[in-house]
Amino acid sequence: MKKNNRSLIVILLLFLFCFTWATPAYVAGKAPYKIGVNLEMTGPWGEVNKIVRNTLLMEVEKINGTGGIGGRPLQLLIEDNGFDLNRAAANMTKFSRDKEVIAVIGPFEDNFQATTRAIAEREKITNIIICPSNPKVRALKQKWSFNIAQNDIIVSEKLVDLCLARNYKKILVFPAQIPLAQSLADYFKQFGEAKGMKVIVSKETHLNTDIDMTPQLIKLKPILEQEKVDAFYACTGGPPGGVICKNIRSLGIKTPILGTHAFGFGFFISLGGEATEGVEFPAGKPVVNPEQLDEGDPVRPVITDLNNRLKARYGTGADQISGHAYDAIGLLHASLKRSGDKATRSQLRDSLENTKGFPGCMGIYNYSPTNHDGLTKKDLIFIRIEGQKFTRVKFPGFE
Amino acid sequence: MTSWAYIPQLLITGVTIGAIYALVAIGFVTIARASQIINFAQGEFVMLGGVITFVLLNKGFLPYPAAALLAVLIVILIGFSLHRLVIHPLRKASLLIILMATLGASFFMSSTSNLVFGSLPKSLPPFSGSEAFHVWGISILPQSLWVFLATSLLLILLYLLSHRTFIGKAMEASSTDPMGADLVGISRDLMLLMAFGVSAGVGAIAGILITPIFYTSYNSGTLLGLKGFVAAVLGGWGKPSGAILGGFVLGILESAGIAFIPSGYKDGVAFGILLLILYFRPKGILGSPFVDSRRW
Repeated sequence: MKKNNRSLIVILLLFLFCFTWATPAYVAGKAPYKIGVNLEMTGPWGEVNKIVRNTLLMEVEKINGTGGIGGRPLQLLIEDNGFDLNRAAANMTKFSRDKEVIAVIGPFEDNFQATTRAIAEREKITNIIICPSNPKVRALKQKWSFNIAQNDIIVSEKLVDLCLARNYKKILVFPAQIPLAQSLADYFKQFGEAKGMKVIVSKETHLNTDIDMTPQLIKLKPILEQEKVDAFYACTGGPPGGVICKNIRSLGIKTPILGTHAFGFGFFISLGGEATEGVEFPAGKPVVNPEQLDEGDPVRPVITDLNNRLKARYGTGADQISGHAYDAIGLLHASLKRSGDKATRSQLRDSLENTKGFPGCMGIYNYSPTNHDGLTKKDLIFIRIEGQKFTRVKFPGFE
Repeated sequence: MTSWAYIPQLLITGVTIGAIYALVAIGFVTIARASQIINFAQGEFVMLGGVITFVLLNKGFLPYPAAALLAVLIVILIGFSLHRLVIHPLRKASLLIILMATLGASFFMSSTSNLVFGSLPKSLPPFSGSEAFHVWGISILPQSLWVFLATSLLLILLYLLSHRTFIGKAMEASSTDPMGADLVGISRDLMLLMAFGVSAGVGAIAGILITPIFYTSYNSGTLLGLKGFVAAVLGGWGKPSGAILGGFVLGILESAGIAFIPSGYKDGVAFGILLLILYFRPKGILGSPFVDSRRW
């Protein structure tokens, strides 16, 4: 009997241990503002989402350390959605039914956000969408969801600038079969042709799960040679980016490769290896070391600060992922500060919509009732991979 | 028609991936011959081979060959423990239940790999040089040659193992005549344990060979395993020669098919071909000792 009791206590302690690590210490006293976090902690993006969670926890600790919002601390409720649409929707519903939760951050993946947006709209709760904006839902003009990543329009505009600066006249686009890539390709064609470029969107596409693009690229090789294409645009995200670079170079094709903002993650270089050398793409400012940013850039001190604190605590510096996390919690914090310590869900939403000139990691955020995208083309920089590192390149007249 | 111009280059790609399918298929067949079990965790051995080598190479300060060898040994141990912990306790259950158990083991292995080694895709450096060389307008990666060479060597070794060694002959015996093997005192349980070790080792080597060309992540084993299974059935379920033939046929058809159909259907091709061939030859290309086509 006694032995039984002891094991029960051990189990209880273990449970306590397991459940307490997710909730950060907060300032005692006033009731906290609860923020739901709906992330893919397991599944293919588990490692990436761990960065998001770590950054969120660090930022919340810092905010609470300075007194929270009028004495009310922030509290994160982190739920794993296991890369599963149903669980993402269930988490979102759960958060929205909890009257104390004031806003929800996440999910991370493009595939799940249309659903959580719809729930946010129905349940009237702010939903911050991390990565990236889904083009198909933009037309819905949803009131309760806000995008914090660069959208497909500004990325395409910036890429057209890159082509103009490099004097590329003919581009072959190889899009992935995901809505974001298709819309990036469409906008690139539209903006590029308006500037007098010739954009060929390939009929061959690829899936996110393809581990070998060689067959598709073999079919594209004659087009590259016959049409004398100046650059090859790998319009994709995730693992295919590195695979395409590797496959295209192994076929002996020397055409310069252009990429999307999704190339700005460390694993892209480790996956593609030497083949990624010379790849150019537009991406957010945290991709490069803060020293490479302009002296007067208002974003530079923000990234430098985050970079130093992340390095001190977790050993790895800032990147686009932790930048997104910083911006998500930073925007919420700033909006809550404006609406005081008795904010309701709709007050927070209105306050967030009135965000003007908030300096985050990814750029300067300006929301308005008609614009929930926040960032502009000015918040992107040109990146080139040199010596297996992300390096900023500047072109006079294009930045 | 311009499509024909792609064929030689596509053949090279097809042979490379076909060699890998053949190795996965051999793994399936080795276990099936010893016990008629279909081991759906076969693809996970491939994944673990690649992932463990990656981890040893990057965290363990080991040189490449040592890391690869150690990874193969670890995966063989995992294969042994799969038999000891999952198959052996269920030896009196029906084949269907064991099949479900291997499926469960497969999920367990891929999820564990996700938690322990991380979820991001992993790539290994090529064995020798990443610069492709060009012959008659076709570019060939050195790694493709490595894959082909290592696969051929491994297949010869497996042939020698089953035909020239005592233990190999015992394994053969327990598959061709289970009762006879029992009568002469061959422990079929032990032979099955050996079969799991062999197929885990072959799977791990396949994983190490392809990771430099493609990449490995915790969930890439499932599709490779399925394709290997298709290859084994295509060539003739239960025949090692059939598995090798099936692997190459599948790899080449899948790759060459791209020349004529849109690439989005690539994965569908494998299963379409399987159906077509099985309609006309239910025993597979070389015939199967296990399948009786006159059942109905």
